[in-house]
Amino acid sequence: MSGAARAGRRLFWLVPLALLPVPLALNPYQQFVADLVLMYVPVAIGFNVVIGNLGLFAFSNVAYFGIGAYASGILMAKAGLPWWITVLPAGLAGCGAGVLTAVPALRGVRLFYLAIMTLAFGELMRWSYIRAEALTGGSMGLALPRALLFGWPLDDARKFYVFLALAVILVIATERLLCSRFGRAFMAIRGNEVAAAAMGIPTGRFIVIGFAWSGFVVGVAGAMYAALIGHLSPDSFNLSELVLEFAIIMVGGVGSQLGSVLGAAVLTALPQLFMSWPGSEELAFGLLLILVILFLPRGLASLLARWHPIFRDRYLLEE
Amino acid sequence: MPALLELAEVSVHFGGVAAVDRVSLSLAPGEIAALIGPNGAGKTTLFNAIAGNAPVSSGTIRFRGEAIENRSPHDIAQLGIRRTFQNGGLFPDLSVIENVLAGLHTEIASGFLGLLFTAGPSRRSEREAAARARALLERMGIGALAEQSAGGLSGGQQRMVEILRAVAPMPPLLLLDEPAVGLAPPARAALATLVRRLARENGIGVLLIEHAIELVMQLADRVVVLSDGAKVADGAPQAVRADRAVLEAYLGHA
Repeated sequence: MSGAARAGRRLFWLVPLALLPVPLALNPYQQFVADLVLMYVPVAIGFNVVIGNLGLFAFSNVAYFGIGAYASGILMAKAGLPWWITVLPAGLAGCGAGVLTAVPALRGVRLFYLAIMTLAFGELMRWSYIRAEALTGGSMGLALPRALLFGWPLDDARKFYVFLALAVILVIATERLLCSRFGRAFMAIRGNEVAAAAMGIPTGRFIVIGFAWSGFVVGVAGAMYAALIGHLSPDSFNLSELVLEFAIIMVGGVGSQLGSVLGAAVLTALPQLFMSWPGSEELAFGLLLILVILFLPRGLASLLARWHPIFRDRYLLEE
Repeated sequence: MPALLELAEVSVHFGGVAAVDRVSLSLAPGEIAALIGPNGAGKTTLFNAIAGNAPVSSGTIRFRGEAIENRSPHDIAQLGIRRTFQNGGLFPDLSVIENVLAGLHTEIASGFLGLLFTAGPSRRSEREAAARARALLERMGIGALAEQSAGGLSGGQQRMVEILRAVAPMPPLLLLDEPAVGLAPPARAALATLVRRLARENGIGVLLIEHAIELVMQLADRVVVLSDGAKVADGAPQAVRADRAVLEAYLGHA
């Protein structure tokens, strides 16, 4: 059964393959929405590692996202680097922010105390984007040059493929980490920290690793934001952005990578359908959230997991 | 032969209260010692002191000659002391096999970068551990439960899985906190067989807290009795049973 499940998971490769012809079929607006979905996949995956796998109520995700976006944007606008060179530094900047925000959790801060402290960090970063005017353009924002990939402009089709590749790489890398002693250590910390330590798991070290990876993944998503939107403004990384990111993992499935992907797709694409009727977007968003929490507390991913075992989250690697 | 575990005058104070009061004891490899005593005698606190979960106020604890008092719980676990918890310490969201694999954490050599960038040794180490965990579950007759989530098991099954998770890395010293609570008689017998085999065949030293006195008599090479934090008797099960101090500890002072 386990061997079959492993072979079954190779079928997931069909998803990115099936997406390859997408740019041929879409108009520029639909293309933008597709890119937005691909950008929110790593945003959600990174967030879910901290909330879902480590089980810590840390809400600095929007800070990692903003720091990644500004790192990429500043390197493009001020240092004149092409976009593709800024992707890794954006991830590393997010990673550094992740390590920094792990400190309260390391000091034993938990639950809503941790939530408030990490929320405050996000707001502090927003204040910093406004105050560091020389670098960030302050509240007026920072207009970015065209994103470049190896000297070519990142046109619509290329942007889609680059985003698809980044999303796939980050999903696979996170999956590799979760299906190992790292993922089990995260879940052990979530389940029972005292028991985790009794198994020889240095809980503090793995909390830092979880935050660092989360920050890296979301930081890369920040670079994608810089390429997609072309303009950075402090208000893009505010509390309502954080609420959207939280809703994505709640609707998709807390602790589930599949959930991150589903949530990103549904909550990014769905509002676009309601754009023509002003006000209905918020209504649909709220209704969806309530329905999922009432009837699917473990998110859309749990629906698929009930249907077929290959969709179940696994934290081990077998032959 | 040096003792596996050697406690010398160990005390644990909470505020002004001595939860554990100058307890000395030693355990040899392959020996099974039962820690008994009335509620509040300090048995679990003594376990916590050994495992690094409670601060040792004075005295020394040596494991294979190395001082371990007041070291962090994960350090002590890495040295080879594994424990179970009175209230159950399984990870409810993980499956049974994933729980056992978490117990094998220190045995797996996979590294962060190795997992991300290669298909080599890191992933092989993970696969080997998974095979080892599955083999252990099958040998204990619960291979069919491997994929079930631990939170959904019966109380008795959860105890068994928790013990297997502690045993999986074959630690030199095993601390079992009331392992037989909630176990039906057949499961209790299976537990006794497992513990005896671990001690006799694998040379694992076992310290267990247990209230089921017939299990203690049947299993333990030695019985240590605590009362009000202090050791009042230490010896062969039959001798301890007849000891006056022990009767006093249980029945109150005459």
